[in-house]
Amino acid sequence: MAAVQETIDQVALIDVDQYKYGFETTIEMDKAPKGLSEDIIRFISAKKDEPEWMLEWRLDAYRRWLTLEEPTWARVNYPKIDFNDIHYYAAPKSTPGPTSIDDVDPELLKVYEKLGIPLREQEILAGVEKPRIAVDAVFDSVSVVTTFKEELKKAGVIFMSISEAIREHPELVKKYLGTVVPTTDNYYATLNSAVFTDGSFVFVPKGVRCPMELSTYFRINEKGTGQFERTLIIAEDGAYVSYLEGCTAPQRDENQLHAAVVELVALDDAEIKYSTVQNWYPGDKEGKGGIYNFVTKRGDCRGKNSKISWTQVETGSAITWKYPSCILRGDGSRGEFYSIAVSNGHQQIDSGTKMIHLGKNTSSRIVSKGIAAGVSQNTYRGQVSTHRKAENARNFTQCDSLLIGDKCGAHTVPYIEARNSSAQFEHEATTSKISEDQLFYCLQRGIPTEAAIALIVNGFVKEVIQELPMEFAVEAQKLIGISLEGSVG
Amino acid sequence: MNMQTAITMTAAETALVDAYTAMIGELPGEGAVLSARDALLADLKRQGLPTRRVEAWHYTDLRALLRAVPAHDPSAFAQRVEPLVAGSSVLSVLNGKADVKTAPAGINLRSYAESLVEGVAAADLIERDTDDAIGRINGSFVRDGFEIEVPEGTVLEQPLELQLVQSAGQSHSRFPVTFGANSRATVIERHLSVGDAASLVTVVSDLILDDSAEITWIILQQQGASDSHLAQVNFDLGANAKLRLFIINAGGKLVRQEIHGVTTGEGADFQLRGINLLGGDTHTDVTFTLGHDVPNTTSKEVIRNVLFDRAKGVFQGQIRVAPDAQKTDAKMACNTLLLSDDADFSAKPELEIFADDVQCGHGATVIDINPTHLYYLRARGIPENKARAMLVNAFVDEIVEELEDEGLIETLETIISAWLEKHA
Repeated sequence: MAAVQETIDQVALIDVDQYKYGFETTIEMDKAPKGLSEDIIRFISAKKDEPEWMLEWRLDAYRRWLTLEEPTWARVNYPKIDFNDIHYYAAPKSTPGPTSIDDVDPELLKVYEKLGIPLREQEILAGVEKPRIAVDAVFDSVSVVTTFKEELKKAGVIFMSISEAIREHPELVKKYLGTVVPTTDNYYATLNSAVFTDGSFVFVPKGVRCPMELSTYFRINEKGTGQFERTLIIAEDGAYVSYLEGCTAPQRDENQLHAAVVELVALDDAEIKYSTVQNWYPGDKEGKGGIYNFVTKRGDCRGKNSKISWTQVETGSAITWKYPSCILRGDGSRGEFYSIAVSNGHQQIDSGTKMIHLGKNTSSRIVSKGIAAGVSQNTYRGQVSTHRKAENARNFTQCDSLLIGDKCGAHTVPYIEARNSSAQFEHEATTSKISEDQLFYCLQRGIPTEAAIALIVNGFVKEVIQELPMEFAVEAQKLIGISLEGSVG
Repeated sequence: MNMQTAITMTAAETALVDAYTAMIGELPGEGAVLSARDALLADLKRQGLPTRRVEAWHYTDLRALLRAVPAHDPSAFAQRVEPLVAGSSVLSVLNGKADVKTAPAGINLRSYAESLVEGVAAADLIERDTDDAIGRINGSFVRDGFEIEVPEGTVLEQPLELQLVQSAGQSHSRFPVTFGANSRATVIERHLSVGDAASLVTVVSDLILDDSAEITWIILQQQGASDSHLAQVNFDLGANAKLRLFIINAGGKLVRQEIHGVTTGEGADFQLRGINLLGGDTHTDVTFTLGHDVPNTTSKEVIRNVLFDRAKGVFQGQIRVAPDAQKTDAKMACNTLLLSDDADFSAKPELEIFADDVQCGHGATVIDINPTHLYYLRARGIPENKARAMLVNAFVDEIVEELEDEGLIETLETIISAWLEKHA
């Protein structure tokens, strides 16, 4: 069909050069020298003014990391990373801990303005109630500002950078840090434990429903740096919080490493909703540059009837290696994973989830939509398992892949492990291209090819988009559009 | 390297190496065949048996599961049994030794031992991949089997039964089978044990289907409760060739059944139907890979598993679609009835797709018997155990019924019902 061919050609033309967050900002930076050693870790810890136990924790992780080998099982190819060629700490110089937004370097504020992220707390104007989002902005290695802190404090919610939390709430950090993703977990998580520089900390106390959406924007700006953030979210009994993160980076020829760890803890009847719009620089059309995104995200449904829901829209990064997981420990707990992974150009995505059913009457749901275009490789890798004692575990998994063009690849690798006769697992996966029938139906009704494909792709991902908070849903839809520009209007 | 040499050999690994030293003098073939055997054994010695760290063996840690290897027992006695379907031509392998009495009319045949002695078999004795433990063990020790050629245009009216009867010790057989263009045949590969002695059986069948050949190949594995059974079927489908492969596992302690195929001619069609009846302490693994290498080929796999007692079941299925293999239509389903809390089942259905104009899908379910179905039957006065048996029977019967041959369906149904009666 000519129209389809045209679309394929158009997709072939698009490069990932459509990336609109590729600008670089010149800000005076305070950097650690390149390389990784115990001294660098001491340097980071000292910069952060950390207590002794934290330094020991880091050093312990570092020593363990030295004994580990880089994992190679994922379906991604990249040249060997020189872990000694990275600055493990880079912070904007002007801010030795800004106390208010006015202390923040105006250049930096401009960055966030360009990104369309409001760092100034919006006022509620008479009669016009805008949805308010509290933002924590992380620039390279440090958190520059956190908004709405005071208002959140009134509700009892703690929302601050993890460095501040280590100083101000050491008892909470000590109690929960590393309990979901232990320092021994995997190569990148162990590395992160040794060198993490910042990230967000959220604590929602018993019975509190967080009054607004919380969000963190991560930006890698400085050359030759790696970003290693650590996020810890705790929802006590009956608490609720919705958290979202966004990520961008400048356009560069070099590959930069991003190895984050996110830990979620949900106690009895608590609910955590974690959404990600990941839009790191994906590299150019030749596959040069881009972020290596090696992330460990895990939620622990520790209490009964707790719930953790992961929603992700992955459009960026040269390489994505990411499996947001749920440990369903509490009886009656529930885990959800909704994902849209779009790969174009030379991008490689190996992403999915793990649902580990340990408690009784636990349930999980996985909906994964992969869209591959260009010469990209898009893999879903997931695991669903039940413990022998986990009675009445339920899982539903659906992973669909859409291929645009004949040079890309879509792969599905699910691991399904049932250890209890009362388990009920359903898994289905499909791979296809945009149906010519559907396209024909639209064309026949006078909808141009571009719009028709947009319509079909939007329909394909709708189930996941619906799970995003409203403000993000619009952004995500736009992002998918940009990522596939040429085929989607 | 250092790490690998540091591995201490398990009892089974030592037994295999010792068996090789003891048996090599009397195994058929020299020259190229002997060097091929030596090379395979050297690999086995160097790498050991695969562990779960080897992705293809993720759920079947052969190193841990294969506890002992019974020595070859030249005095063991086994006898040919009546064929499954009356009127079949029977080719039997008794304790690893081919019994060539009658060559059925219309096919060319010789024992595999002859091919080994002659040396042409040397080309077969290779590893498919670095993780091909079955090819490695079988290739090192292979003693006999049959080399079969069904000539172009031949239509076999009666089934051909390859009967492997094992009473003790170990046996390693091979079946290179070529089906000429436009040939039609039904082959039954049947594995039986007599007596209670534990044995190790490995078997590799290499099937080549020329253009437009239409073949039904049935594997019925009913070995003893203490036997280890390592089997591999490799196939290559030419243009418009059709292979229907039925596999029924209803025995064995440690079973690994591998199926590896490629479609190399357009219009080829592959159908796999599997029934795994797992009870007692069995560990049964069905691992399947299929490469759609050319455009316009189709495949469908349906696997039904029923688990009782402390049985462990594994299904791994991988469908690969090559970059130019447009218009591939591939579907795979794996449905499991887990009827005991001590049983467990793991599935890994994989899709690896490099072409865009394809329809590929897979589904996997694990459930217990549907209580509403049970209620329906009980409300009609059927006792619970009988109602359960009916439902389990219906679950697997669907597969058997696709065979079309009335006599064959009935025979297999009898075997399945008898098995279920014994285990339910």
